[in-house]
Amino acid sequence: MSEPRIIQNFIGYRATIATEQPAAVEQLEDMLAKLGMSSAIAEIADGKLQIEPGDKDVLFIDSDLNVTVETGGAEPSRCLPVIGIVGVEAPSRLRSLMQLGATATLRKPVHRAAVYSALFVGINEFRRRRYLADRLEQHERRRLLRKSLVKAVLVVMQRTGADHSAAYDLLRRESMRSRQSIEDFCETFIQANGPELDEPETTVGTTKTYAKKP
Amino acid sequence: MTQAQYHIGVLFSQGGPYGVVSRSMYNGAMLAFDEIRASRDYAFAVTPIVADPAGRFEQYAISTSDLLGRQGVRHVVGCYTSSSRKDVIPLFEKHDALLWYPSHYEGFESSSNVVYTGAAPNQHIVPLIEFLLAHMGKRAYCIGSNYIWAWENNRILREALSAAGGTVLAERYTAVGDIDLSKMIASILDARPDFIFNTLIGTSAYRFFQDFRIACAERGIDQPAEMPVVSCSLSEPELEQIGPRAMDGHISSSVYFSSIDTPANRRFVAAYQARWPDGPATSADAEASYVAVKMLAAAIAAAGSDDVEAVRQVLPSLSLDAPQGIVSIDGRTTHAFLTPRIGKSTKAGQFEILWAASRPVRPDPYLVQTTPRYAVRNGMPALRAIK
Repeated sequence: MSEPRIIQNFIGYRATIATEQPAAVEQLEDMLAKLGMSSAIAEIADGKLQIEPGDKDVLFIDSDLNVTVETGGAEPSRCLPVIGIVGVEAPSRLRSLMQLGATATLRKPVHRAAVYSALFVGINEFRRRRYLADRLEQHERRRLLRKSLVKAVLVVMQRTGADHSAAYDLLRRESMRSRQSIEDFCETFIQANGPELDEPETTVGTTKTYAKKP
Repeated sequence: MTQAQYHIGVLFSQGGPYGVVSRSMYNGAMLAFDEIRASRDYAFAVTPIVADPAGRFEQYAISTSDLLGRQGVRHVVGCYTSSSRKDVIPLFEKHDALLWYPSHYEGFESSSNVVYTGAAPNQHIVPLIEFLLAHMGKRAYCIGSNYIWAWENNRILREALSAAGGTVLAERYTAVGDIDLSKMIASILDARPDFIFNTLIGTSAYRFFQDFRIACAERGIDQPAEMPVVSCSLSEPELEQIGPRAMDGHISSSVYFSSIDTPANRRFVAAYQARWPDGPATSADAEASYVAVKMLAAAIAAAGSDDVEAVRQVLPSLSLDAPQGIVSIDGRTTHAFLTPRIGKSTKAGQFEILWAASRPVRPDPYLVQTTPRYAVRNGMPALRAIK
């Protein structure tokens, strides 16, 4: 997982604009067209805005609206860049933008000169946050699997007579060979090569292999 | 019936670090006013209201406020640097007036209160980069005046070179008007690039060309052949400032050179020289200023008044047989369709045209058709110095 590259050209992107004041976003629509983007005013029904975001979607949402954004899967802040259009600068309105994961804002009525900056910051900051969130998730999952790693090190130590450092190195090499993280490899290893450490029949291997003896 | 009278602001510096180019812009605009006045094609009179910021940044806003406020003009032809343009745009927006900006610039702007008759980046630096990659090599050394014109053009060059497997050896910036460039020149001589990409403006540029030529000669280096200097902005009046010892062999990308051999340009050059025998010579920016005034007059004629919205509405339907060729305005971006060219300066203070686009090129101020989706990750040079 590598850090996302900065996007600077938004041609082909698709903007959904959620507002009940189309006159306030005329310059936004004009500027998006100049940048090679398409745009559409969102349809809001029963206080809900439904959107199925693709890779090149961005949502501009008016903070003066009181709507629920439904993206079908994860919460909006993980699915697509959200750029807030700020009307009333009241805490409740700004908080709603924060909850949607807005990564940039524009003042209402939108002035065209501010649009490229908002897109640049908004989309790239969204990508950076999503990358960090994905990495955090990945690390959390690996943290939970550290228990299997400790078990696997002990199994290898018992079976091969290696010290903990050598046992870890052995597991590390094998995980790299199988193109898995060491935690995933150890989880599989423990499931396939038990037995559990507290089982009395556990034997220490006599050869320099960590594999369970037949 | 009384003939309608329209007052048009003219905002060019007559002095200061970039006064030579700015005066040529003033000359181009005033020539157009003269021709309109002398012509029977117009059912109205236009009177220029001249303001001179004298190259002082803060004076542009003061003069603009006076033109749009006290003088009540709706249209102003003017500005050379991007910093001055950006400073006055809010005033044009406040008064809903139109700035006719007649200079090449770095793009990434599209105000509905500005009509851009100079070249957008896809009309100057993009063709220049294509030429450089085909003929000059891939190792660049960038020098520039420390403001947006240089920063953004260097960014575009850096990304294009990086994508082509080339490299920017260094970027060095200096203040507008600085003429002590010895460290810059020593560093270039050490680096030995394939070419020097110059975004210095005004007196800094002229001194660089002079001193660099001398420094190369002292070391037995044939500067134009071994380390050519390439620019997006070098024009004929600037060659005069560089002087006969160092004016030749430089590459420039421009939508206009006074050497364009067409009847329209021959007429323009002759009229300009007759009107301004003491110079500065015709230039791309002088032509863009001339085009701006002519286009504005055509728009007023078509709209029936100088009302800003009426002028905006008719602009996309107009075209002008300009000295560079046909010029028209793109209604979406209010930038001009222009014809890019690459020239090489001669000892006569002119440019030999090496390449020209076959037709006017649609403006693309945000480079959405040419710039890569992603910014270059590792394109920054090892040396990036600001004096």
